[in-house]
Amino acid sequence: MVGLLAEHGDDAKPLAGGQSLVPLLAMRLTRFEHIVDLNRVDELFGVSPDNGGVRIGAMTRQATVETDTTVAERVPLLHLATPHIGHFQIRNRGTIGGSIAHADPASEYPAVMLAVDGVAEIASATGNREVPAAQFFESTFMTAVAPDELLVALRFSAWDQPAGFAFDEIARRSGDFALAGAAVGIGIDAEGRINRAAVGMLGVGPIPLRASSVEAALMGLDVSDADPAEIGRLAADDMDPIGDVHASVEYRRQAGSTLVGRVLANALAQVTTEAGNG
Amino acid sequence: MTQGAAAARYVGQSVKRLEDPRLVTGHGRYVDDIVLPGMLHAAFGRSDLARATITRLDTTEAEALDGVHAVYTGADLNSYNDSLRASLHSPESPAPPANMLAEGDVRFVGDPYVMVVAENRYIAEDALDLVEVEFEPLEAVVDYETAADSEHHVHPELGGNLAHDLPVPNPATEEAFENAAHTITETWHQHRQTNVPMETRGIVASWQPHAGVMEVWASTQSPHELQLVGARVLGIGEHKMVVHFGDVGGGFGQKMFLGREDMAVLVVAKLLGSPVKWIEDRRENLLASNHARIEQMTVKMAVGEDGSFLAADLDQLEDDGAYPLGGPATPGAMATMLYPGPYRMGPVSWRARTVYTNTCGRGAYRGPWQMESVAREQMIDRVARDIGMDPLELRRRNVLKPEDLPYQVSTGLFFETTISPEQTLEQAAEMIGYDEFRAEQAAAREQGRYLGLGMALYIEPTSMGMGPLGTESAMLRVEVDGHVNVFMGTGSHGQSLETTIAQLVADELGVRPEDVTLHQGHGSGYGFGTGGSRSAVIAGSAARAAASGVRDKVVAIAAHLMEASADDLEVADGVISVKGTPAASMTMAQVAATAYQNSDALPPGTEAGLEHTARYKAPPSTHSNACHICTCELDPGTGKVTLLRYVVSEDCGVLINPMVVDGQIAGGVVQGIGGVLYEHAVYDESGNPLASTFLDYLVPTAADVPELETGHVVVPSDTPGGHKGTGEGGAIGAPPAVFNAVADALAPFGVYPNRQPLDPNTVLSLIASSSSS
Amino acid sequence: MADQIPLSMTVNGQTRRGLGEPRLTLADFLREQAHCTGVHLGCEHGVCGSCTVLMDGEAVRSCLLFAVQADGADITTVEGLAPDDETLHPVQEAFRDCHGLQCGFCTPGFVVSVVAFLEANPDPSDDEIRHGISGNLCRCTGYQGIVAATRQAAAVMKGNES
Repeated sequence: MVGLLAEHGDDAKPLAGGQSLVPLLAMRLTRFEHIVDLNRVDELFGVSPDNGGVRIGAMTRQATVETDTTVAERVPLLHLATPHIGHFQIRNRGTIGGSIAHADPASEYPAVMLAVDGVAEIASATGNREVPAAQFFESTFMTAVAPDELLVALRFSAWDQPAGFAFDEIARRSGDFALAGAAVGIGIDAEGRINRAAVGMLGVGPIPLRASSVEAALMGLDVSDADPAEIGRLAADDMDPIGDVHASVEYRRQAGSTLVGRVLANALAQVTTEAGNG
Repeated sequence: MTQGAAAARYVGQSVKRLEDPRLVTGHGRYVDDIVLPGMLHAAFGRSDLARATITRLDTTEAEALDGVHAVYTGADLNSYNDSLRASLHSPESPAPPANMLAEGDVRFVGDPYVMVVAENRYIAEDALDLVEVEFEPLEAVVDYETAADSEHHVHPELGGNLAHDLPVPNPATEEAFENAAHTITETWHQHRQTNVPMETRGIVASWQPHAGVMEVWASTQSPHELQLVGARVLGIGEHKMVVHFGDVGGGFGQKMFLGREDMAVLVVAKLLGSPVKWIEDRRENLLASNHARIEQMTVKMAVGEDGSFLAADLDQLEDDGAYPLGGPATPGAMATMLYPGPYRMGPVSWRARTVYTNTCGRGAYRGPWQMESVAREQMIDRVARDIGMDPLELRRRNVLKPEDLPYQVSTGLFFETTISPEQTLEQAAEMIGYDEFRAEQAAAREQGRYLGLGMALYIEPTSMGMGPLGTESAMLRVEVDGHVNVFMGTGSHGQSLETTIAQLVADELGVRPEDVTLHQGHGSGYGFGTGGSRSAVIAGSAARAAASGVRDKVVAIAAHLMEASADDLEVADGVISVKGTPAASMTMAQVAATAYQNSDALPPGTEAGLEHTARYKAPPSTHSNACHICTCELDPGTGKVTLLRYVVSEDCGVLINPMVVDGQIAGGVVQGIGGVLYEHAVYDESGNPLASTFLDYLVPTAADVPELETGHVVVPSDTPGGHKGTGEGGAIGAPPAVFNAVADALAPFGVYPNRQPLDPNTVLSLIASSSSS
Repeated sequence: MADQIPLSMTVNGQTRRGLGEPRLTLADFLREQAHCTGVHLGCEHGVCGSCTVLMDGEAVRSCLLFAVQADGADITTVEGLAPDDETLHPVQEAFRDCHGLQCGFCTPGFVVSVVAFLEANPDPSDDEIRHGISGNLCRCTGYQGIVAATRQAAAVMKGNES
């Protein structure tokens, strides 16, 4: 596979689930001399336990991610985010690697990957390399994967502390791309203080973004002291929205930060439960 | 009138649809399913610019591509232009220049300027990529509010952008305004939407040389418009134009008229002598079929101290785009005439203008004139807010009551005694639990939740009887074995006519619905087709009359053969029997066999055969009416509106098939919801369309709309079956009801919307404007 | 033009062979070479769902797959659901009973999607039904009849199993 990509370079495009690429081809908005179909490359499929976390082959269908119990236990945000991707017919074909390599700033998996510090395994004819999420998304629809390279898997580590997770997004209709969305993970120490805060955002910038102001404000707070609505408002400063036909810059910033607050509230509620159980 | 008339047996029942077994199993036959030997495929090259001069157009390379049979430009086809007008459009009325393909310049994004015919659609589109074209961009006229004053002209041939200007002053309004306790003015804006049938437009045309016959399959609502206009375009007689009518995947007005592309396919099929198929793709459908609802109405209303409506002054402006489908229409004039609706209104003055812009042409879309209800019902809620009266109370004070009927409207309309606006208003208010909701709303506001309720009451002019719309015919034939074929000029594209016409015939003739097959298209008599909420009343009455004629003959023959008195016979489910003596009977098949194959046994003087043709002429209008009420919750953090409940109380007279009526209403309502909350065929300032796919043109999904609750008030109309049209109503009542609900939810913020769509972005900025002011 | 590639797949239980360019979509193969014209094309960009078919048992948009990708696969279209010419599949029967269709163009995609949806979720709430079928667009029914049909089909199919 990577040999084909090395041979044809820019003229070739890997085809994963095809749920984004094929419409562009059908409407003749893009064209390639060669399409390299990954759908029969068995080693790109599947979820496997990995060092306490999970390794998910790039061609693993979103429908598999949605129902896989290892994913649900170890990377709850992937599990929570998946139902928001399109519709079930789309998720039956769409893949986690395709979604992350396509890097639509309004899609779910890139924001989750960024929030929980996932790692991309990238292969080429000359060898393999790993790229952490923070360096993976370069600009809109552009990632660290070069034309002669292939994203082969994603790796996520599990959180080894009481934690709570929540995901939500604002979309025009059921299944649409998000106008704004948030993936939030909150971890606490033995005293109930927040010692890990992960807030990924989608739809509010040219690439998926982390709400670092929100994360900073949360660190060290007692989980019961955090005012999610107020802290969520800080997210507005972490955004760099682009306006389009569905929502303006101002809308994405305002509604997006409201949403961050709400998702944060949900995550905090989950963490309280978890800690209480543990 | 009919001997031995049976009681309604099938009319009024939710008979399962005869269409469905083939459609649910994938065995429908839509136009794209038609494959003919040697069939070629057409594709159109379309402008990416709103207004531009074509400076170079070279098709050499495209023509040279393997598999390409022909490439046509405007110069090749535009000699046919004199013949292109729709039959509703008088040759004397002003119109934009007619053409099939743009020639010399392009006038909207999507304007077709080249047509390729090739072995398959893939190759045809490959060839379009090889067409070499250069444009000199010109400044486009995009904003219809300023189009009339623009120095740039969409159609330079016309010397201006104003298509129509109909002022109808009324001095009586002046006195009313002077004496009114309240004068309230607002401009209501609708926005650009489009019909979006799930099946796009499409046509297959096959020319038979020497026979001189053009055989056509098309996705159409009006096979006879296609036969009539197609024959004119081709220069052949209608007797040589064979239009097959198969399954049609929706239209909502879009398929009443021939598009420029349809005509080009007809002409090219004749030129090439090979069958040609064109199936519009979705992008073409969204950009270049037709748009609608791009209009605004400024309303000034005089209101008395007690809330009575004393007078109205209306100024309507609408956008016809560049090439309005079916010719420049004037629904604006209708919208102003209909403005008083179901209320005592006092004198009305109005003006209605239409302008051309460099955008996709306007076309009919389910209730093309519904701006009257949008403007009136939104205005009434606005008045209620301004004068501090409950909107239901304000409507109750002004609504036409049974004792007001018949009612002569000041704008010239006349409402018969068979309308029931007050009854539907009260039924809907009861269904929604009006007072309970107001209490719930107040309690919710205490908790920082924003609920809203909106209502809309309207009268719909259905089955209009003027001009080409006035009549339909039915040719009914009982075949030798007693089964029934009916040939009609309708074009059912979802309205269930195969079932409802069969129900009418079954009752009138005395057979079972499944013994009746409706045939549309070739072989039927002229009619304008299915649209304008006209099929139940006009076509239905024709079918009823045809069946009645045959039934009289069936009874006469049976009485003769059974040596019984015609008055003693009854006919039901294909059996003619002596009342009270069921053993004395014969079947429809026996009567038919006698009529065709043993005509010597018929009563003396009886013509052989068992067939009858009837044509029904409709009265000027048959009015139905309805009231919609919906409730919503608005999320002030995201601006998202969620509809909670939606009720409709309607009066379409005698229901032929309640399941079908409810289905028509539900479909129209969801289109209306889509229009207010989701759909927007938006252009940028340069005339570039920004919603060219289903990712951007947002048709509501099942998850975005509520369950619909329907109530029926039945006041039979004066037409033969007592029916009234109901196809369009849902899409008329829903927009103002939804708009009013959102406006109501926004009330605590002290803002009042006057534009759609009420998408989350718009709602949030309205809320922001309140807190900043 | 690219070379024609031999194609073979099982469509509604029968082996169908054909030839197509690599760019030939599964939807076009099914319509034109397997003659399953119940596979409808409403948008060709993966949103409307009219072209939905089952591929190896899972609902997919056949306009977003190349035919060559389905080589060797087991495809079921709306034509393959009814057990015989006289009997409808319970989902098809429910669509008829509940007026879940008007023009019928979106119907094949809905029927196939609902079959797959109920397979995964045999006892859905109304809310789950509305979200479950939200990947298919209908412009005629307002979804009222389709939701009711899904509800009825779920009840009937559950009854059939027990």
